[in-house]
Amino acid sequence: MNHAMKSTLIAVVMATGSTSFAADIPSHPSEIQFRELQFTPPEAQDFRYELSSGVPVFIAESNEFPLVTISMSFKGGEYLVPADKAGLAGLTGGMIRSGGSSTMGPEELDEEFDFLAANVSTSIGDRNARASINCLTSNLDSAFDLFMDMLRNPRFDESRFAIRKDQILESFESRNDAGVQIAIRELGFLMWGEDHFEGRQPTRESIESITIDDMKALHEQIFHPGNLMIAVTGDVEPNEILAFLESKLSDWEVGQISPDIPKPTKTYEPGVYYYEKDQPQVQVLIGHRGIERDDPNAIDVEVMNQILGGSGFTSRITNTVRTQEGLAYTAGSTFSNRVEYPGMFLSYFFTKTPTTALATRLVFDEIGKIQTEEATTEEIEIIQNSLIETFPRNFESKSAMMNLFISDERTGRPADYWKNYRDRVRSVTASDVQEAALNYLNPEQAVIMVVGPVDEIKAGNADSEADANRIATMAEFFNGESTILPQRDPESLKPVDSE
Amino acid sequence: MRTALLTTGLLLATSSISMAQQVEPIEYTLDNGMHFLLMPRDEQPNIITAGWISPVGSVNERPGITGVSHFLEHLLFKGTDYIGTSDAEGDLAFRNQLTEIRQKMRAYTTDVQYKRFYRGEIDNPWDPANDTPELREMRAQMTALQDEQAGITIKNEFDKVYTGNGGSGMNAGTSNDFTVFYINIPSNKLELWSWMESDRLNNPSLRELDAERFVVIEERRQRLEATATGKLDEQFDSMFWVASPYNFPVIGWMSDLMAYTEDEVREYFETYYQPANLTGVIVGDFEVDEAKQLIDSYFGRLENKRAAPSPMVTHSVPLLGEMRFTGECDCQDQVEVRYRSVAYGNPDEPVLDVIADLLNGRTGRLYKSLVEKQGIAASARAGNRSQHFAGSFSFSATPKGDASLEDLELAWLEQIDLLKTEPVSDRELQKIKNQSAADTFRELQDNSSLFFQLAITEAYGGYEYLNTYPRAIQEVTAEDIMRVANEYFKSDARATALYTRKGGEAKLITIDDVKASLPEEMVGMIMPNLEAQLAELDGMNAEQLRQGMAEIESQAEMIPPQMKKLMDYIQQEMQIRLDAIESNGAESSEGGEG
Repeated sequence: MNHAMKSTLIAVVMATGSTSFAADIPSHPSEIQFRELQFTPPEAQDFRYELSSGVPVFIAESNEFPLVTISMSFKGGEYLVPADKAGLAGLTGGMIRSGGSSTMGPEELDEEFDFLAANVSTSIGDRNARASINCLTSNLDSAFDLFMDMLRNPRFDESRFAIRKDQILESFESRNDAGVQIAIRELGFLMWGEDHFEGRQPTRESIESITIDDMKALHEQIFHPGNLMIAVTGDVEPNEILAFLESKLSDWEVGQISPDIPKPTKTYEPGVYYYEKDQPQVQVLIGHRGIERDDPNAIDVEVMNQILGGSGFTSRITNTVRTQEGLAYTAGSTFSNRVEYPGMFLSYFFTKTPTTALATRLVFDEIGKIQTEEATTEEIEIIQNSLIETFPRNFESKSAMMNLFISDERTGRPADYWKNYRDRVRSVTASDVQEAALNYLNPEQAVIMVVGPVDEIKAGNADSEADANRIATMAEFFNGESTILPQRDPESLKPVDSE
Repeated sequence: MRTALLTTGLLLATSSISMAQQVEPIEYTLDNGMHFLLMPRDEQPNIITAGWISPVGSVNERPGITGVSHFLEHLLFKGTDYIGTSDAEGDLAFRNQLTEIRQKMRAYTTDVQYKRFYRGEIDNPWDPANDTPELREMRAQMTALQDEQAGITIKNEFDKVYTGNGGSGMNAGTSNDFTVFYINIPSNKLELWSWMESDRLNNPSLRELDAERFVVIEERRQRLEATATGKLDEQFDSMFWVASPYNFPVIGWMSDLMAYTEDEVREYFETYYQPANLTGVIVGDFEVDEAKQLIDSYFGRLENKRAAPSPMVTHSVPLLGEMRFTGECDCQDQVEVRYRSVAYGNPDEPVLDVIADLLNGRTGRLYKSLVEKQGIAASARAGNRSQHFAGSFSFSATPKGDASLEDLELAWLEQIDLLKTEPVSDRELQKIKNQSAADTFRELQDNSSLFFQLAITEAYGGYEYLNTYPRAIQEVTAEDIMRVANEYFKSDARATALYTRKGGEAKLITIDDVKASLPEEMVGMIMPNLEAQLAELDGMNAEQLRQGMAEIESQAEMIPPQMKKLMDYIQQEMQIRLDAIESNGAESSEGGEG
């Protein structure tokens, strides 16, 4: 129905359009006339079913390929794990997949999945856990039974567990190899603390302390229908697959529903923080507390940040630091919003040592500018158009759509959010943008996290041939005060005595 | 149980071959030779992935302009004569003046500054800190011109036009073999895409060339120099490829990045970005007739201005021995063993890919043997990379616990022997074929994945490969695998890279280690002899020690695994004695000179 209408629409446009093609090419793209694009965001309720146990199932049929994906999302993650067992969630998530099931040892199970060409994965993240299977529809029956046995009765095979632990511990040896990894880790420690799951890192000690019983307990806590939502996409008929799931999952008992996510309690000291590392390029992260996802001003902030540094070449930070001054290949800014508490604002760039201070200044100048001057109408319109015109991409593929619906339901996103989204974006004004910049950008509350050769970074480009207004040193930030963070042992992450 | 499953699998394989997706884009070619592949698809409504590809990459470069394909890719985002400036005429005047001064600076630098550099007077001929007064004067002129031009430049207008019209994910990529430009657009914006892309192919401004030079240098630092293994990988590649133009990095050598002139870049553009050398690809929610009309109007205006580019000429010469490359970095200890394999489209390519699949994954041979059974690797993988004009097959791994890089090499050699001498079982081969059949569908599921597959196969010679390749995989036999393993995995034609952690402590093997590694029945026989052997080593001169080590080395592949630690230990002890003799010698000769 929909499809037929669209084709007619195009036919009409084509008929009128053909005359304009014969004429000369417009001299600027702004002169091109585009036909209106009609797009109504799909609504979750049209795809939502429920099992008799109350488990929501979102189903979108697609017959292009003989494949089906069943993706299960569970509430619960690393936030349930005490700090001294940091890393338990990730380890458990991987071990469910690799540790065998009640009827098969790990090797046999892997062989069966591989032979059936079923892609099966399980993982536990910070907030949610996931288990998914993708296979040819014709193999679903046999593959799904193996999958559910694994998911409900993971064996956590001991030798696989030992191998996985060793792999993780080996990988810890390289945690100081890449500057950007150090920068992200240290910024997390400073801003979220070494205990809250947002900032903390697993250590040799925490991984070594993890037992199979720890994994079993976490598995039992998370993987049951009380925490579950399901997305199904692919070559299946909704009612058939619903009946299939009903029959396969009917005896799965509900456990304790996972508690809500704890808020971080740490406060942090703004300032310049260095981590010494001998390398030819310096990584700089400038971060401070951001906003909650459902903040009433979240869309103003989104537009503001897109202008500031969130829209690639179109944004000011990229324009200044990269395009104009040639100081970095990567430069920009982002707000990562959280549902339960304010997330983080982050600006970032990687530059050669002597220009670290200059690039930092340029970023602070851009933050100051967007706070003190209204953005131009053109800038705001470009971002508004972009957010509105790319809006359908949120629903781009059936699986993206189903996962969005699951996430919205789990996090209690207001039901009319997507329906009103484009109007809300369109309503943002220049003063809204400036307000957002004033209220949600706090350069004096920032942590400037810098990884590289500290002495050379501090000196900036003072002795270079650059013209006077391009000379900068790190002394211009936070009154020249700074903290040199201790070097950490890559495995324990404990500070080590500097040489 | 087993038999039942095997049957299911075989059925699955047969049925998937017959129902395997045929990828059949609509082909359309303009009079100027520009070729298009159109693939309407309504699974993702309202969205189009569109772009174009040129079969040009670093293989088409030469010393002096290495990295220019990638640099040009960057410059094609800097706008056109009309996009990116508020005053086209004024802008052109600035560009001409800048071209002139840049040319002068380049001539001066490669003459005067290079000579000073060769004489050791300066450390870097391109560093402004080493400028002579003449050069400083020219640089000041250039900066002044650039700052003045900036007044009429609309920075990143090319990106802004797309962004404001709902374009997203605009980007491009350069490889050794091709350069591809792409973007996602709403389905009503195909004319915008046609306008923008044909405009940059018609009259690219190459504006802001010098600022972009420094952006690319930062990209080089970010991707290569500031990564754990980047700088070493680059040199290993160079060594491995010998003559072939795969022997330098896509991003280019630093000296060349500093040196490009506009003329060089423009000539390169005019040669390789002529319409006859390009393929456009459109995938997603659009009407074919409308697309064809837009293509006619916009891309039809492009002209071929130069002779067709000459194809890549230089082939790699075969490896005549074993190459070993050792380096230290801030990285995990790791080993890579690499062989020459075959170019894209060679009938052995699917066989080599199947071999890699047999080795990889949790049910692959490397995990089962090196990680699980022997416990000597934290990770191990293999891969075949068939590029346009040549290919390579590599094994790489990181050791675990006390295992050495040499232990991993040895384990790899055992795997090769297996491949060469024992036919793979029906079930193991069928497993790979089943996965390949399912993956064929998976890889066609979204617009952008489909876009890249069409564009790249077309640049390599024809999208039809998307249909013939999966069939070729299904036809690979156990005999093919043995034949191919014997043909390409040769010990006397390979390159091995051994990276160790910088400042890492070398773990010395102790007598106890040796004892523990030997089977019990051999301990009593070997250990007493070992002491006598060590005493013998003490009496050897440098030449004898070297010979002894070479001998052990040459027999490495024949040493049984349980004797490996013992031989490593003897080698180590020889090396220690040799080092001692050599350092004594060095001291005395220094003394002599003094």
